[in-house]
Amino acid sequence: MTDFVRHDLRIKPTRDELSRQRFVSEIRRHILGDLANGMRATYHKKVEPALVRENGREPADGVEVHRAMRSESSYRFYSAMRVNCQKLVWRSVIPTIERNLEDLNRRVAGVDANGGGQGGSVTLDPDVETPPYVANHDVHLMPGCYHTEYGDDDVAAGALYDNGGAVFSMGLFGSERDDIGSSIARFISLKFPELRPRRILDMGCSIGSNTLPWARTFPEAEVHAVDVAAPMLRYAHARAEVLGARVHYRQMDASQCDFDGEPGFDIVWSSMFLHELPPKKVRAVFREAHRLLRPGGLMLHMELPPNCHTVPYESFYFDWDSYYNQEPYYKAFRDMRPIDCCTAGGFDESNFVEFIVPSLARNGEEELRSYVSKDDVTVDENTGRLVPSIRWYCFGAWK
Amino acid sequence: MPKDPPETRLRDLTRGKQPRFFDVQGVDELVSITMGLAQELWAVKERLAAVEALGKAGISTAAVEAYEFSEEERAALDRERREFIDRIYFVLREGDDG
Repeated sequence: MTDFVRHDLRIKPTRDELSRQRFVSEIRRHILGDLANGMRATYHKKVEPALVRENGREPADGVEVHRAMRSESSYRFYSAMRVNCQKLVWRSVIPTIERNLEDLNRRVAGVDANGGGQGGSVTLDPDVETPPYVANHDVHLMPGCYHTEYGDDDVAAGALYDNGGAVFSMGLFGSERDDIGSSIARFISLKFPELRPRRILDMGCSIGSNTLPWARTFPEAEVHAVDVAAPMLRYAHARAEVLGARVHYRQMDASQCDFDGEPGFDIVWSSMFLHELPPKKVRAVFREAHRLLRPGGLMLHMELPPNCHTVPYESFYFDWDSYYNQEPYYKAFRDMRPIDCCTAGGFDESNFVEFIVPSLARNGEEELRSYVSKDDVTVDENTGRLVPSIRWYCFGAWK
Repeated sequence: MPKDPPETRLRDLTRGKQPRFFDVQGVDELVSITMGLAQELWAVKERLAAVEALGKAGISTAAVEAYEFSEEERAALDRERREFIDRIYFVLREGDDG
């Protein structure tokens, strides 16, 4: 089932546009299901045994698996179709956005100027430069990336991310595409019932899909969210207001925030953000998170499981995005050990945490509650993969 | 009826070196082209489904555009779309690679 933007910033596709969007969602399901399973079968039945015969040992890592898979037809078609499918994700919604952009920009500007009734805010800073790891890539093959603007007060990139994300997610991320934030915020509230955060920060928030769940789970908290991209932040603020959540969005580089004079945060969070940064920037973000946290606060990041937790085939499967989805820092990030990222940022090793959290949208509250008392962090084929029984991996540390 | 182009055109091509997966020149492009063709054909099939549902008499473009599939019709189309994709791409499920 495809999912669509349903909130008050929704735009209406023509019949043909809707048909094309549904097609893309379905063929994505085919590629990540049928073709991915076929590729995995090729590996286990043919490639892995050949590697073991040739080298007298199992493959050491995802790099070795990738090298061996390159000449396989199943790999070539999975990869070629997946790249093209990703392009079609954006291309299937661009015409709808173009036709509705003037009206959408006007609606968003109205919310941003007059407030949407929730008391949130958006503060932009033209002095914040678009960093090269955004400016020089079309991350996720999204034309224009996060930062491109098509006029004053423009939100096209935010609309592209929201509507394209709906096609991309095939209905697996929840109707507001907030399953990551919803599942993990709920999990944390159950696992640490004594935690009563007064201030929460989302780093690299984009359009705020995984920010709002923290505002809803902890309604007494003041929620802040930062990103470098102005069109994403404008859209994020209006989106939060129409969805009934109060969030303060600010244009900032997460590695050098300016909250001077303000109290520290009790929770610093990010989701699917760190892997888009070069390693040096990742380290800076961890140091900054440590600086911004109050003593006793929690830093938590949701990402795909790291390579130290995945078998070589899964490492190859997840590292694919680094090579072919214009996420060039992904592999370097997943090669890092999460505990090392935390200690290098100033956190104590004994305060390191990592969790596996089942999807709230797919598996329900009962399944999520059953994980609260578990200490098992076993990564399996459902962790991070877009499958119906998906589970999310997150890690971090207490200050 | 041709429509006026929108005032603002977004960038719609991905920058950077395009990944290539096939040794034979042109095959990567053909994969892209077949996916585009399949997508367009699906859009036609859905329009045709609306036309057939509306019946033979008095079908206007506006009526086709506005036609809302019932739940049953939508469920049947969703099932057919999966089968449609498999009819086009079944070859990729065939046999082993070597």
